[in-house]
Order: sequence, then structure tokens, then C-alpha cells
Amino acid sequence: MVEFKNISFSYSKDSGVYDIDLKVDDSEFCFLVGPTGSGKSSLLKMIYFDILPSEGEIDVLGYNSKKTKKNSIHKLRKKIGVIFQDYKLLKQRTVYENIALPLHINGVGRKKIKDNVEEALELTDLVDYQNKYPDQLSGGEQQRVCIARAIVKNPELILADEPTGNLDPAAAHKILKILEQINKEGTTIIMATHNYKLISDRDYRIIELKAGNLVSS
Amino acid sequence: MIDQFAFLIAEGFKSFYRNKLASFLCVITIFINFSILGSLFVVGYNTNSLVDFFRSKYSFEIFLQNDVDQDVFTDFIDKLSKNNIIASTELIDKEKSAAIFKEEFGEDVVEMLGYNPLPLSIKVFINEESFEFDQVDLLIESINTYDFVDEIEYRGRYIDDIEDRINLAIFLFLVFVIAIIFLSYQIISNTVNLSMTNRRDFIDILKYNGASGFFIKIPFYIESILYSVFGSVFSFLFVKYFFISFNTYFGVNVKLDDYLWVWIIGFSIFIGLYSSNQSMKRNLYE
Repeated sequence: MVEFKNISFSYSKDSGVYDIDLKVDDSEFCFLVGPTGSGKSSLLKMIYFDILPSEGEIDVLGYNSKKTKKNSIHKLRKKIGVIFQDYKLLKQRTVYENIALPLHINGVGRKKIKDNVEEALELTDLVDYQNKYPDQLSGGEQQRVCIARAIVKNPELILADEPTGNLDPAAAHKILKILEQINKEGTTIIMATHNYKLISDRDYRIIELKAGNLVSS
Repeated sequence: MIDQFAFLIAEGFKSFYRNKLASFLCVITIFINFSILGSLFVVGYNTNSLVDFFRSKYSFEIFLQNDVDQDVFTDFIDKLSKNNIIASTELIDKEKSAAIFKEEFGEDVVEMLGYNPLPLSIKVFINEESFEFDQVDLLIESINTYDFVDEIEYRGRYIDDIEDRINLAIFLFLVFVIAIIFLSYQIISNTVNLSMTNRRDFIDILKYNGASGFFIKIPFYIESILYSVFGSVFSFLFVKYFFISFNTYFGVNVKLDDYLWVWIIGFSIFIGLYSSNQSMKRNLYE
């Protein structure tokens, strides 16, 4: 599914990720943990080829970071759902329109869009909010919209970058529950977090990063 | 596929609508630019009649006395034909002169006066390839020495002067056209830049969700087409009705090309697409 082969990338002299060798299998749910600046987000960005390693290579869903041409990266991204800490929702669009966006990109027909969006709304418990705008929602609700947008296209892999970072414990717990439910249906999930308390009682693989280096996996 | 296309079209319109003030200013600027460009095009289209005027630089007309002897006259034409700088000659006899008079003034001079007072004349065409004013002046001077020559009508130097001025005007016209095209390019490009900056979140979300570069560009192409179409349609209507009114008011006949609208709208769309494409190249791959 995802394989890092001795990859390194640095933004500056003291910031980046170094010599990471890691493999994530199909249907796995794993947490990427580490303090702020440890390289969690960089590693996730490398998975959807937003940044490319300066050394080594990554294989993601059959796409290799060295062999994939720049104009083919979008094909990989169609198979990945990304959840952002800052939600990245379009404020001038309703919840329904935000969730439907990836399906428009994939060229899905109107009827199928309706079915998929309704399914995602139900899974994230947002049916009553579908006609509201992001600014009318709480942080937890906005994050659920972001999750719904990520799952609506039935991706093979979901990358969640600190999805609970801005949320209170109850909302964070609810988000995690939803992600677990998605994972049970077979979707691979890699979630970056620095909230050890939230994941400590869960029996999932933990990949730990510190100052850009892999501490344990 | 149709749904996807409809989505992209709708996004283009939304973008146009959301940038209200910038879109309005862009349309107004295109309208002004293409109104000037369209008017210049109409002026250029009507310069064909000038070509005939300029051609007369390479000819002059010799008017002869009424009592000229036929042998002298034939001998004179022979001499002219042998001159290297003369390409050909055309005899305009009294009947032909009367016909020309009728065509130009609408009156039959013979019917009006009871006789034909118009002189016999010879139209002399000068060899354009070896044309030189000094030689023509010398030739005219020598022809003038003949007793049977009444008058020689030649406007060469006068036409040359006008031609110089018109060439300068054409040069300025081209500079002006280039400036207008460049201005239109800059305005559309900057408006699309602004639109892309305003919609950076939208572009990022499209990108992270697997949209290809072309998919992201389409709404902005549509937006620039809308600027071009609105601006140029208004400018076409303005140019058309301006010249119709001009013709009516001044009683002249400035002709409008049947395909003027195709030129104005097509050219505006071309500039719109090109400038938005350049703008997107800068914005999407930075």
C-alpha cells in the first residue's frame, strides 16, 4: 500500500525527515505520532506527492515517487482522501457542495453524487447540516464535513493530518470513532497526531517520529 | 462527463460573478479597447479606395489642343511608347471623355451644350519598377515643349506627400493596436490572477482531491472567455452603430465588413484565452 524506502527530505538545515524506511499494509490503521515539527505532516505530504523526497523513493498504491510524472500525480490523489487539521472547507459552499466536490472532479454523475454524499452524511452524522455553510458549524462538525469529503469517493487510503488538533476531547473521540468505522470497511488510514491520550487505549500500530527520525514503528 | 462539464461551466460563471468589481472593470476595459480596435479596423477596411488614388502617382494625363493634326498625334504617341520609363499609354478620345464626364457628373455634355468641348487626351502609365520623380519631371518638361500640348495633369509629388503621411499614420496605428492588445492582455491576465488568488483554497482542494491541471484551469478559461465575450459584444455593437450614425449624419459611405463581429469577438476571445493561460502558468506551478 505505502512504502517509504530510505527517504530523506529537508526544508532547512534543522528541519525535515531523514532516512525513513517504513511500510504500511492494506486495511491498516496506524498513528503517526511525535511532537510538533517532528516531520509527521511532511511524511503525509510525501504520501500524496505534495512534496517529493530528495533521497530515496516512495511507493503509494502502485505509484512510485521517482517514476510518476508531474502531470500524473492527480491520478494517485484520486485514490486518496486527505483530512486537514484546518479543515480546508469552502466557505461559500454548503456542506453538501463541499462533500460533493471530489465526485465532480472524478466525473461522477449527478445521481451517484447524490447517493454517495447522502451515505457520507449519514456516516458522519451530518444529515441535518447538509444545507448549512461551514461558518455555521462548530469545529467538530467542520472536521466531520472534512472527513465526509475525504470518504465520499471511497478512497483506498485516508490520510488524516492532526484531525483532532483543534477539537475538544468529546469531539475528538467522535472523529476517531468515525475513522475506525471507515477502517473496518477496509480503508487504510494513516493518522498524524500528537494527542497520545486519545490513542493510548487503542490497539493500533504507532509510528513514532522525533526530529525527523523514525523512533519506532 | 456532461455533469462534469456542466460543473466546470458553472464554476466559471460563479468565478465571474464572485469577482464582481474586477469582472466589471475588466469588461469595461475590453469594451473600450476593442471599440478603438474595431474602429481602427473599419478605417483600415475602407482604405481600399485610397489605393486607387495612390496608383495615380504612376500615371499622368496629357490634354491636347483641339486642332491637333492626326499624323503629328500618331507620331507623338509612337515617341512616347519608345520611352523606357513609360509602361503604356491610353488614348482618351472625345467620345470617351464625354462618357467619363457623364459617369462622374451625371450629365451628358453633348446634349447639354450641343457640341463636345472636351479635349483629346492621353493617359500615360509610368513603369513602376524604375519609377523616379526626377525622370518623370524631365519627361513632363519635354512633353510640355510640344505646341499641341495644352496641359499636363500630374499629382505625383502631392500624392507622395500624402502617402508619406499615411505611412506614418499606419505606423502609429500599428503601435496603437499593439498597445491596445498588450493592455487587454494585461487586464485579463491581472483579473485572472486576482481571481486565482481569491480562490487559492478552491484550487488547493481541487488539487488535493485529484483534479488535473487542465480541470483546474477550465473555470478560469471560462471566466476569461466571459470577460472577452461581454466586452467585445458591447464594443461590436458600439462600433457598428457608431459608423451607421456617422454615415447618416455626414452623408458618407463608410463600409462595415460583414464579418466585423467575428473579428472583434474572435480576437478578443483569443487574447482572453492566451492571457489567462499565461496567468495560470505563473500561478499553478509556482
